[in-house]
Amino acid sequence: MVSSIGVKALLLAALVAVPFITSSYTAYQLGLYILFGIVGQGIVLCWGKGGFLPMGQALFFGIGAYISGTVLKSDPSWGVVLLAVLLSVLVPGMIAGIIGVLVFGRKIGSGLYFSLITLALSLLGYQLANSQVWLTGGFNGMTGIKGLPGIDSFGSLYFFIIGALVFSTCFLAYLIRTPFGQNLEAVRENEERLQFLGVNTSRIKAAAFAISGGVAGLAGAFFAPHQGIVTPQVVGFILSAELVIWTGVGGRFGLAGPVIGAVLIGFLASGLRDYFSFWEVVVALVFVIIVLRLPGGIAGLAAAYAKKIGMSLDTFRSSPRDEQILSSPTNSQPRLEFKNVSLQIGPVVILDDLSFEIVDRGIHCLIGPNGAGKTSALNVLTGKLAHNSGKITWCGQPLEGMQPFRMSGLGIGRKLQVPSIFPELTIRQNIDIALWVNRLKFGNVLSMRPYRWHKALKDRLERAFPFLIDAEVLAGKLSVGQRQMLDFSMTVLAAPDLILLDEPCAGLSKAETETMISAIADLAKSSKATFIIVEHDMQVVELLSDHVLVMHQGRLLAQGSLEQIRANPEVRRVYAGGSK
Amino acid sequence: MEVFVTFLLNLIYISATLALIALGLAMVFGLLGVMNMAHGEFVMLGAYSVYVVQLAGQHFLWAIPVAIVICVMVGWLMEWLVVRHLYSRPFDTLLATWGVAILIRKGVEVIFTRDYKSVNQVMPGTIDLLGVSYPAYRLLLVALIIVLFVALFTWYQKSKAGLKIRAMVQGPELAAAVGIDTARLSRLTFIIGVSTAGLAGVLLAPLVRVEPYIGLDYLMSSFFILIVGGLGTLEGLLIGSTVIGGTDAIVSTVFDKTAGYMSVLLISILFLWLRPDGIFYRR
Repeated sequence: MVSSIGVKALLLAALVAVPFITSSYTAYQLGLYILFGIVGQGIVLCWGKGGFLPMGQALFFGIGAYISGTVLKSDPSWGVVLLAVLLSVLVPGMIAGIIGVLVFGRKIGSGLYFSLITLALSLLGYQLANSQVWLTGGFNGMTGIKGLPGIDSFGSLYFFIIGALVFSTCFLAYLIRTPFGQNLEAVRENEERLQFLGVNTSRIKAAAFAISGGVAGLAGAFFAPHQGIVTPQVVGFILSAELVIWTGVGGRFGLAGPVIGAVLIGFLASGLRDYFSFWEVVVALVFVIIVLRLPGGIAGLAAAYAKKIGMSLDTFRSSPRDEQILSSPTNSQPRLEFKNVSLQIGPVVILDDLSFEIVDRGIHCLIGPNGAGKTSALNVLTGKLAHNSGKITWCGQPLEGMQPFRMSGLGIGRKLQVPSIFPELTIRQNIDIALWVNRLKFGNVLSMRPYRWHKALKDRLERAFPFLIDAEVLAGKLSVGQRQMLDFSMTVLAAPDLILLDEPCAGLSKAETETMISAIADLAKSSKATFIIVEHDMQVVELLSDHVLVMHQGRLLAQGSLEQIRANPEVRRVYAGGSK
Repeated sequence: MEVFVTFLLNLIYISATLALIALGLAMVFGLLGVMNMAHGEFVMLGAYSVYVVQLAGQHFLWAIPVAIVICVMVGWLMEWLVVRHLYSRPFDTLLATWGVAILIRKGVEVIFTRDYKSVNQVMPGTIDLLGVSYPAYRLLLVALIIVLFVALFTWYQKSKAGLKIRAMVQGPELAAAVGIDTARLSRLTFIIGVSTAGLAGVLLAPLVRVEPYIGLDYLMSSFFILIVGGLGTLEGLLIGSTVIGGTDAIVSTVFDKTAGYMSVLLISILFLWLRPDGIFYRR
């Protein structure tokens, strides 16, 4: 994305000047390609930012075109035209939203399925447009569409199209900067982590898809008066595929990419198609090469070149953090109950009638030899694995079959064993996402205010881990130890009442382990949260634990203070290598 | 009674051909995790082989070796140039194979134009079966498909190569560590997968329209079958084919083709919603 205002203004001026310095026919062609580019900008939102690719975007473009075409046939007034444009945006947007909710609702990472479903919908749209003659004019298309009132389709309509481009660019650029946009990028980076933090990722994806559908519809609304005819090809899969190719070749990570791709390939095609029959084969080949070698496309190349000659295109915003947010009221008393929980996968018994209760605050360490079922116990607790029988309740609330993001609403937060962060986002952005958990509402998700939020706990964490201080460093560049610390900080900042840590010191050096231990101890003292820590390192257990639970072969073997555990002959036998 | 028998035979015929078409994608997507968007294009290449063979005045059966040679060559090239760099990156494979699909489609379009090609009927007669006369070629086709499935399934379960493939699917690193050449095996699986698609194209060519864009329909129906049936089992493939084929056939007869397509699509979305892993899902 080109960010400096000067470059943008220059580009806009050049676009406005096109009809005056070249022929009006060139401007007319350019207008069409820009409309396709606008649809591509919606694809950028889903594909480049959200990490899921809609492959049937022509469907929404076509619906918009058919709606505006139907209205424009009747020679309407400007008021009606505006209403039609609005409808052309809202109807496809809503359809896309419903599809998004349906497809994303149940399954994390259903990206491939989503792509094929959207492709199938575009095929369906093509069949419907062909068969519903009363509505669409069928195979021969909807004809007799007049231009916008008083606007020459071959002349001044071009400026309306530029207006639509400016609108969609500004709107989407703003959207990408909001907390919504940042969460969308986090979905692309690590959807599972975002769910464990407590974000309903399927809703974010559905919303992004709905917006991309609306943007496509907007372009469609101008396509109808521009062409004067709308045929079923406009909703079909061929155009859908071309839209993806233009976006991919132009560049999928920024809003300029698809416009560049559509305009460039459009003009090349109109020049070459008649002389060079293999033209479209070549375009497909270029697309494959870009997927394999050059994910950023032409815009990515241009940005790399600009950086090389010393132009800075990235402007980091750094809003001051001046709005204090308070931790949500914490449960005064934890009550976690495992009642006869069993888990068997294939012939392997992993949890065998596991029962225990945690009713005290403080740090509870879960220990046991390898394969005792410690991590599995956390997995069934957070719904990552479905147990076969038994009951798990948190403060009286049963946790069966709950999606991970709902756990966070109940006050349960989890850090996985392998550090899990959003690598292509900065440390500050990672922290922001954790701060926002359960606080982003419809009213503020599209405002910049959440960037100003601050929390006392954040200061405390930054004292423990100084590298965190609002750093504009990509989280992917951190060392393993630092990632663990960032991951831990995010889990804690999301403010759960029950914090589950799976080997928080795995992969840390001795010094880092000490830092981590003192940070955990400090937090446990100052907050009202309850910690359950799965740990192998007895040193860590010794320093941190208020209460120890020992698991062996899927059962609870013993519990009590560390001294009691050490004195327990059963535990000794297990750890000394004896069998049961 | 006769109507019922005809319907039943039609259902068997439709399910069998769909299962044959989906088989290759089930292998490539189910075993290798590669969502091969060019799957339908291999069916299309198979169908065009029949057209070319008949154009040259040769017997229909020659199309089988021709199609297999073409599919092996194109599949090998595709695996070597594109797919092998992208294993374990499912989203990029989807994109790249999508590009390859367009490339093949446009290539065929340039060579043969977009017109429909007619392929001569093979075995035009009918056979009396359970009181109804049914097209002989369709019955032969069903028999052939059953034989092919049994053979392939036995090979997968009993042969050494099948064992190696199963080992590779369950644990690629371990398989490589015990001396299985996983790169070669993946290529082999990919090539066999696309070749079955080509074979399906040959066998179906006399019954369908032949043009450069038919592949997309086959890709979509294969995909729907895999959604409904789930990945990794033969039962799933067969049930998926029956559900998808049956729904399409019934709804299309009662209403029209568009309604049939719409109902198949709705069933697939419903399955994604209710049973995201399909009917048969092996952990």
